[in-house]
Amino acid sequence: MTESEIRDLCTRFFDAYEGRRIDELAEIMAPDCIIWHNCYGKEVAVADLLAKMPDSYAMHRSRTYNDRTINAFGDGFVIQYTLHGVCHDGYSGSLWICIVGRCADGKVTRIDEYIDSGKFPAFRTVPPQT
Amino acid sequence: MPLSHESRMRDVCNRLLDAIEARDMDLIGAIFAPDLQFWANFTNQTKGRDEMLEAISAGYALHRRRDYNDRHIRALDDGFLAQYSCAITRHDGSQAVHWAAMIAEVKDERIVRIDEYMDAGKFAPRPAA
Repeated sequence: MTESEIRDLCTRFFDAYEGRRIDELAEIMAPDCIIWHNCYGKEVAVADLLAKMPDSYAMHRSRTYNDRTINAFGDGFVIQYTLHGVCHDGYSGSLWICIVGRCADGKVTRIDEYIDSGKFPAFRTVPPQT
Repeated sequence: MPLSHESRMRDVCNRLLDAIEARDMDLIGAIFAPDLQFWANFTNQTKGRDEMLEAISAGYALHRRRDYNDRHIRALDDGFLAQYSCAITRHDGSQAVHWAAMIAEVKDERIVRIDEYMDAGKFAPRPAA
C-alpha cells in the first residue's frame, strides 16, 4: 500500500468509528485483525470488538475524533487524536489517544491503542466536586 | 557510508531510551534540543527541556531500576515512533510494567518534541511528601 492509501484507510477507519458505522468498520478491518490496548495488555479479536461496539456507543450521545495527526510508514500508520465524548446529560470529556495501525491489502490488520485509563471516569461522567 | 534516515532515527531513539535507563542525565540533556517540548497524554501539558530533565531526575527517586524493553521503533518523515514497555522495580522490590508509545520530532540529531502516551491509571500512588 502507498502512503496515501494508508492515510486514506486510517481516515476512513476513524470516520466510520465517529459515524457509528459498524458494517463499514467490519469491511475496513481484516477478519483476523487483532486489537491490543495498553491499559488491558490483552489482544482482542475484531469480532469481539465489533460485538461490543453498540454498548460502547450507548455511553455517549456523540463522539468525535478530532485533531488527527497521521503519520504513515511502510506497513502502517500512527495517529494521534483527541476523542471528544458528549454524554446524554450534556457533559463532555476528552481523551488523548495514540493508535498504531498495521495495514495490508487495503485493510487494517492490527491496532495497538495507547490510552490513559486514569481519565476514563472523567470521560464518562461529571467528576465529583471536592 | 552515511547512515540512512531510518538508521539515524532509530539511533536517536535508542540513545535516548538507553540514557534514561542508565540515568545518564548529561547524555539525556545532550539528546534533547534546547527548545524541546515534551507533551504527555496523561497530563495534557507541555514541558520544556529543563523542566523535563528535572522531572526525569525526580522520577529516578521513585524506582530502583527502569528498563525500556520490547522496543518497536519506526522512522517517520521528521522523527520516530517508539512502542515499548517500561519495566520498573520499586525500592521495596515490587515491579510493574507500563506499555507506552512515543512520537518524536528530530532535527539535527536532537529531539525537539516528544508526545508520550502512557496509562497513568496504572501508576502507583506517590508517597506523601
